[in-house]
Amino acid sequence: MKLKFFDKMAGGSGEPQAIDLMQLALPQLNMLKEEIEQEVEVLQGSLQQLKIAQGRFIESTDSLNKFKKPESEGKEILVPLTSSLYVPGKLKDINNVLIDIGTGFYIEKTLPQAQGYFKRKVDFVTKQMERVQPVLIEKSKMRQVVTEVMNMKIQAQMSATQGQGVKS
Amino acid sequence: MDPRELYLVCCVHTEEFRYQTPKMAADSVQSNLQDELEKFKAVQKQYQKAVETRQKLDAQLNENNIVKSELDLLESDAKVYKMMGPALVQQDVTEAKQTVGKRIEYIEGEMKRQDGMIKDLDKKQNTHRDKLAKLQQQFQKAQVQAMAKS
Repeated sequence: MKLKFFDKMAGGSGEPQAIDLMQLALPQLNMLKEEIEQEVEVLQGSLQQLKIAQGRFIESTDSLNKFKKPESEGKEILVPLTSSLYVPGKLKDINNVLIDIGTGFYIEKTLPQAQGYFKRKVDFVTKQMERVQPVLIEKSKMRQVVTEVMNMKIQAQMSATQGQGVKS
Repeated sequence: MDPRELYLVCCVHTEEFRYQTPKMAADSVQSNLQDELEKFKAVQKQYQKAVETRQKLDAQLNENNIVKSELDLLESDAKVYKMMGPALVQQDVTEAKQTVGKRIEYIEGEMKRQDGMIKDLDKKQNTHRDKLAKLQQQFQKAQVQAMAKS
């Protein structure tokens, strides 16, 4: 059973290295498994965060759609000052919104522009997710293979010691 | 040898022989080994810290690049505000672009500096690792001799 690893630690050549898993001793296999598990965890975490970001952008698009209608102008709204304190207000300008684009910068945009912005962001995040997903799947597969080999080795060891016990 | 493996080996040995030290001539070698291990651990910590800082810088660079690409899409008469404390202050598009550009430059410089540091620390780690391996061999030899005597 051979697996191809893109192992940056080994020599740093960046070339995929074929490692015969059956050749590795149990402690080494365990280390390899832990390493893969860590990678899987990181990838899962980033995927989760991307999902959250995607959800936020979609939510923003939805709120934009809600007051896009012309009758929204001048309507009463309750503005949250804290999560439990609201003050009444009026929608004065429904044509322009301010968008936080990060690092402390805000841009004033018209509604269609804002919608374009959020669409771009959702597309961007979705693309990132599509990049992470296959890597995650591959790593999970690798973890499975390593676990299987480990189990095989453990079983082989156990039957070997049992055989010895019968002999003596 | 993987650093973690080496570390484990060292731990096992120091742990194992702590109880046998009185009769062992390997005492001085052991204290050397422990000193070296401490140094190695310190360098390892520094290395991890440097890598963390680099990752943070990378994230900041990413965010600033995203902001830059967004600013580049704007018309020159667009309204840009900058958060200063709790207040939003209006800023010129070109001015905002300049600010972000400068920030990106600065972060890239910092990243290069961190990269250099990481390289140095990596080298340091390797020399410590070699020294540890040698000391470990010495220690094992001394231990075998001590066993033979007793």
